[in-house]
Amino acid sequence: MDFNDLVSRLGIDEEDIKELVELFITTTLSDIEKIRKGISDNNPADAAAASHSIKGAAGNLGFDEIFSIAGDMEMQAKKGSLDNFNVYANDIEGRVHALHQSISE
Amino acid sequence: MEQKQPYTVLAVDDNRLNLKLIEKSLSKEGYRIFCADNGPDARTIALKEKPDLILLDIEMPGENGFDVIRKLKDSAETNAIPVLFLTGVSEVDSKLKGFDLGAVDYITKPFHPLEVLARVRIHLKLSIATNSLIAGQANKLRQLTEAQVSMLPTPADNPDARFGVYYKALEEAGGDFYDILNISENIKGYFVADFSGHDIKTSYLTASVKALLAQNCTPVYSPIESIKMINDVLVEIMPDGKYLTACYVHINRTTHKLTIINAGHPPVVCLPVKGEPFLIKTEGDILGMFKDAQFGTQSLTVSAGDRFFIYTDGLVESAERKITWASGADSLLPVYREVSGIPYEKAPGALIDHLFGKDALPEDDIVVLCVEV
Repeated sequence: MDFNDLVSRLGIDEEDIKELVELFITTTLSDIEKIRKGISDNNPADAAAASHSIKGAAGNLGFDEIFSIAGDMEMQAKKGSLDNFNVYANDIEGRVHALHQSISE
Repeated sequence: MEQKQPYTVLAVDDNRLNLKLIEKSLSKEGYRIFCADNGPDARTIALKEKPDLILLDIEMPGENGFDVIRKLKDSAETNAIPVLFLTGVSEVDSKLKGFDLGAVDYITKPFHPLEVLARVRIHLKLSIATNSLIAGQANKLRQLTEAQVSMLPTPADNPDARFGVYYKALEEAGGDFYDILNISENIKGYFVADFSGHDIKTSYLTASVKALLAQNCTPVYSPIESIKMINDVLVEIMPDGKYLTACYVHINRTTHKLTIINAGHPPVVCLPVKGEPFLIKTEGDILGMFKDAQFGTQSLTVSAGDRFFIYTDGLVESAERKITWASGADSLLPVYREVSGIPYEKAPGALIDHLFGKDALPEDDIVVLCVEV
């Protein structure tokens, strides 16, 4: 992840960006757990709410791919479908772990 | 030098990261940020801290942003705080509903911190400008009230006129007015009027009427001539639809002759030294509307110690209780006897206390003059 790019895009310093990304990782992993619970309970409303949360946070930090996946998930879940949600959740989780690695370096 | 307190912003969003992002980007620019991740907490903080601006997410679990803004706008303590709501780019209905509920602007999500900062700045500037305008207007109206009150003669300045007065304007630009005319040592005039409307124009008109009274209430003219001349000028200068009801009482304490000129005004109450109080009903046209107006006139012989109450309709009317002065004036007659033992200077205040209680606020402007012969 290019921190300098984030710093210049968001207009806040690197230390704050790191803190925000760490918070993003924590909340997104928690939201992914909610999505998985929504899948196992067959509860699209809960899965939609957690996807909405990921979408909002990712969008504001400029993580466009996660924003896009979570947005699609939210729309789909609001229509009552959880098809392929495990795949999507795994995809987002992988990207979040990659983020985690890049800020730990 | 005293340091200016930082402007405060309340950010409300159930997404912790969004809150943190707003907090980071605004606090580094010198704003003090309060954060709430749900509606009830947001309302509690708004009430306690009175932030200068609120950033409010719409989509929240439980109490959503619409519920929050509705409750904020319903509360007198928080309804003036500008609210910007955060909503998705495609949610047109949400935007319209937010404006409908009183929001001043919206920020689409995902938001950029610099856009949030720019919108916060512009709306704080607007809010500061609006508040300063309101404060300026309130100050001008206060000055107007002071000017109006300073035009009203006091019993202490006119001991020979032997009167007491109660004057209460409910709004800054009051519609009621009175004046005392020192026509000669033993001839005094007492004028009470009620202007239609309570606006700035009224305040300027009271100054005109005061000048007209001073010019026309002289020993040269009879009371009816004075009022007719004043009416002729008022018809020329009054704005369309403006008029006044008025009562002019002229007392000659040498000849013991009292003359009442009534221009569509509630009847004068006579409280004789001996006997029961009674109304002196004289019908007449209003002032300032008709060139050929006819005014009610009544003359009577009076004795030393007789009292006359001249008042505006706020004393005897009640819109809430559907009482007009035509019926209200009659029903209040026994009350005048109750205040007969009180010195005339204090009788109007005692009458008001008796009718409305010490703490209650009348529904309308009120002038009550008590004149003793």
